[in-house]
Amino acid sequence: MTRESLDLPSPTFGLPVRPAPSPTRVEWRSQDRTFVLSVVNFGLACCSVEFLAAVQGRAEAMAAGTIDARARHAGVVTDDGPRTSIEVLVISGTCTDALAPAVKVLYDQMPEPKRVVSFGACSNTGGPYWDSYSVTKGIDQMIPVDVYVPGCPPRPEALLGALGELMRDHDDQRGSVTP
Amino acid sequence: MTRPDGVPAQGPVVSPRVHGVIALVEENCTSCMLCARECPDWCLYIESHTETVPATTPGGRDRSTHVLDRFAIDFSLCMYCGICIEVCPFDALHWSPESDYSEGSLLDLTHERTRLSGWRATPAADGPSDVREPPDPVSGS
Amino acid sequence: MSALVRAVREVFADDVDDLLDVATDFGSTTIHVDSGRWTDSLEALAAAGATYFDFLTAYDELENGFCVIAHLSTPDASDHVLLRTLLARDLPAIATATSVYRGAAWHERETHEMFGIDFIGNDHLEPLLLPDGFSGTPLRKDFVLASRVVKDWPGAKEPGESQEPTTSRRRNLPPGVPQGWLREESTPPNAGSRHDKA
Repeated sequence: MTRESLDLPSPTFGLPVRPAPSPTRVEWRSQDRTFVLSVVNFGLACCSVEFLAAVQGRAEAMAAGTIDARARHAGVVTDDGPRTSIEVLVISGTCTDALAPAVKVLYDQMPEPKRVVSFGACSNTGGPYWDSYSVTKGIDQMIPVDVYVPGCPPRPEALLGALGELMRDHDDQRGSVTP
Repeated sequence: MTRPDGVPAQGPVVSPRVHGVIALVEENCTSCMLCARECPDWCLYIESHTETVPATTPGGRDRSTHVLDRFAIDFSLCMYCGICIEVCPFDALHWSPESDYSEGSLLDLTHERTRLSGWRATPAADGPSDVREPPDPVSGS
Repeated sequence: MSALVRAVREVFADDVDDLLDVATDFGSTTIHVDSGRWTDSLEALAAAGATYFDFLTAYDELENGFCVIAHLSTPDASDHVLLRTLLARDLPAIATATSVYRGAAWHERETHEMFGIDFIGNDHLEPLLLPDGFSGTPLRKDFVLASRVVKDWPGAKEPGESQEPTTSRRRNLPPGVPQGWLREESTPPNAGSRHDKA
């Protein structure tokens, strides 16, 4: 039996139906190449709102879709170089033990190379729910985390800083991305 | 404005009292433990010891004073409620608007006192931590 | 007196002792009934117009037992009451509200899971929210939160101390943590918490 045949109210409450969230694509211009970051937000609680604020304008460079990290190499002018894709998973919000398997599945299904950003105190350590019976004390218990962003919630701009932290090695070593 | 590692400007200018990170004014801290006891997250660690200060005048008494050995806040756990700032009787803690200090390791998010003191530079460190606008005058109704 | 309260009073006309209390505070009426008359009360309220079932839950009153509460309202929200009853702490059980309000099934399932209260007549008290394999009833006040036990309270130290006191003098206790949760004073301080390493 479908929802329509039951004559239930629309779950969108009359708002226009949005498609499933697609990754936010950010081009990261490094010294000798361009990394295309496909940033997926797994929004579990309130920190997710800060992620949305970041990609919709608060973090200007991120919203614009291009981050030029070449400025740190003074005097070096390069073209954009070869393009490499990296999948970035951002866990924003409180992860409960009941939901933890879903986080693991999402991570496992992402293609390599992939990186994980833990966004906010809850996904870092459990945060305010550090003594809770039902909250996972940090998503790093299930999946490897590359960058931890502090805050409750973190400011939107902190997401940009987290990407900087994530890409630091690639900028420093002109390195190739290893899975 | 550019970050130290070359990432360009962060976006809008924020109020200097935004809840970004907690700064420590070490010389104001008396190791009284009030903040560590009030912290609902148990994320504030203080260690101190007692030293005797000899009397400065002949016939005066020696005083004992607490000396801070360790002051650390675990920002991986902190919920940024500001209770520690509110409860401090000597304004040894205040907000700084810096929000960009993510780390690759959870342990690095525990800021020891040198790093906490370093956050003093960013806000208006000369004012007390809880400057508020004066309340509106009551209208004569 | 509202129509809902009058309806309940009529039901208890012959057994006034079972109607334990009717109190109105801040515009909200609470009716406290004997747990044996739970279904009677619900039926009376539904018949008197409180056909909108808002929620059912419980709270822990420690040695007094568990309070089960149901909030019921008229569909136009013109009148509403909180129906309350007290259950014994050992073997808390009460008749199901689903015979009157079908929507109570989900709430009873959750209350059973969180408090271990049995709802007689509701045959579908399956776990709802907690992860598979979870044991215990976490919203009871005697449910020990392991994190609070494992981690040392940083506020236990006195000014001038760098270690928790090992002497037998009375220790400061963290606010909000029941006595008896924390480890005995004989255990060495600073054992085990991952956040103390740094």
